Amino acid sequence: MSTQYSILFKQEHAHDDAIWTAAWGKSEADGSETIVTGSLDDMVKVWKWSDEKLELQWTLEGHQLGVVSVDISHNGAIAASSSLDAHIRLWDLDSGKQIKSMDAGPVDAWTVAFSPDSKYIATGSHLGKVNIFGVESGKKEYSLDTRGKFILSIAYSPDGKYLASGAIDGIINIFDIATGKLLHTLEGHAMPIRSLTFSPDSQLLVTASDDGYIKIYDVQHANLAGTLSGHGSWVLNVAFSPDDTHFVSSSSDKSVKIWDASSRACINTFFDHQDQVWSVKYNSTGSKIISAGDDRAIHIYDCPM
Amino acid sequence: MASFSWKRKVGEKVSKSVLQQFEAEAEKTEDSGPGQVEEAEDVDWLHVIKRRREVLLEDCAAKSKRLKEEGALLAEEGRHWEAIKKWDEAIQLTPDNPLLYEMKSQVLTILQEVFPAVKAAEMAVKFRPLWWEGWQTLGRAQLNLGEVDLAVRSFQVAIHLCPSERPLWQEDLAWALRLQKQHLATKEKTQQEEETKKQILNAPELEQDYDFESDEVLAACVAVAERQTRYEELKRSAVVVDSEGNVQNVHSGDGGSEDTAAPSKEKFVKARGL
Repeated sequence: MSTQYSILFKQEHAHDDAIWTAAWGKSEADGSETIVTGSLDDMVKVWKWSDEKLELQWTLEGHQLGVVSVDISHNGAIAASSSLDAHIRLWDLDSGKQIKSMDAGPVDAWTVAFSPDSKYIATGSHLGKVNIFGVESGKKEYSLDTRGKFILSIAYSPDGKYLASGAIDGIINIFDIATGKLLHTLEGHAMPIRSLTFSPDSQLLVTASDDGYIKIYDVQHANLAGTLSGHGSWVLNVAFSPDDTHFVSSSSDKSVKIWDASSRACINTFFDHQDQVWSVKYNSTGSKIISAGDDRAIHIYDCPM
Repeated sequence: MASFSWKRKVGEKVSKSVLQQFEAEAEKTEDSGPGQVEEAEDVDWLHVIKRRREVLLEDCAAKSKRLKEEGALLAEEGRHWEAIKKWDEAIQLTPDNPLLYEMKSQVLTILQEVFPAVKAAEMAVKFRPLWWEGWQTLGRAQLNLGEVDLAVRSFQVAIHLCPSERPLWQEDLAWALRLQKQHLATKEKTQQEEETKKQILNAPELEQDYDFESDEVLAACVAVAERQTRYEELKRSAVVVDSEGNVQNVHSGDGGSEDTAAPSKEKFVKARGL
């Protein structure tokens, strides 16, 4: 256990082109830690994180036109990926085989997110609908309509009650999953929201926008709890730490920032990337952070616990 | 000589000896190599330039803006080369303004100056990598240059930055993908053609000895003829990608799809000319 933030590992040239997305999962079966990355080079790569280094396990081919988003199921067995050709693919992380390929229809897949029970995958669409696909069935099960614009970002609350979506015009929508009703519409940002994340206790929602700000909302009352500035350009990704007290953000200003959730202060900034940092995630315990971006590098950071 | 103008200016007020000494010194510094002279000049110039730049800083931006607008007006009137001249001047004043490069690239594309257009657009995305319009212009310029794969990549980046921009998907990316498909199909066909041609030139039937009394010869001749017909057939056809993106080999020219049994009009020069 370290006592301060530090960079632990760098994987240079992890892909042949810009890395747009990354996910960190832990296998329930054997406790191994898996990292999945998706890139503009059409590849999805599966890495094993062991002995403080990355090992390439699978290179998954099949996507066309760049992989926009990846996610790992909560038991760590399945990865989902989406690409610009509007296909969502499911992969078995043990065998590296494709389980399913779902055609979401033209322009109808962007961010993919597993539901907390990992039975569903949610993805946004250009018409402002959130489409929910069944992992078993491989088909669209139902959809939630925001009546808004192109949905860039999606997040399930860890307690399974809410689903939040962020649109290109800066509007945030929060749904009640049980009833499928739209609970809140927040006009938080005036610019695209590329990422949003719930806190582990599902009380807070953190949003990242092209306006360079990060906003924190109280989910139940839909109150704005804070606006954070610090990034010099678009905030591209946010992720909450499993310890419930920190979250991390990445930006096109090439930095990765770690924030204290209660004081709302930036407590550490990493300036290790050479280019825009598109993706940032915590591992399952919150002891590590992964970041990846246009410089084709994957960085792993150590976090004090 | 450098001292020529000095002589006139100084006039009679300076004594002849001083003048001569000055001339001698001027010549000496000139002779002693360019390095020294430059060094001496540098010091002076540095002061002058430094002071000037501070004064000019604001003027540069304003002047560049005016030139940019002038160029835009000229471009709208179809006076493309004049527009580019204005923007080039503006670029001299504000070399890191991505808008100038992007507009220049568009007009260069209109003028079919394909390579300079790509260069200009590359500068635009270099200075503003999050600007999807810059990537779109770069993609279009690359497409004009025939770099279809690079164009597809540029459009992908543009879409990733602004996925709600429908024309990017429906026009730019779709069109580039169609060209990519066509390109691939054409390449495959050329390869096929070349292989067939090779087989005509080095027909396996010709490598073996024949008993000229037997039917073997006839069979070999028929095989060679068939191959040549196939080659001609291939040559006559063209690759076409229809609106749905399906690749087809379409026969062009006169009577391309005549049945293959019909005798070829061309002589069997290739088969016999060994």
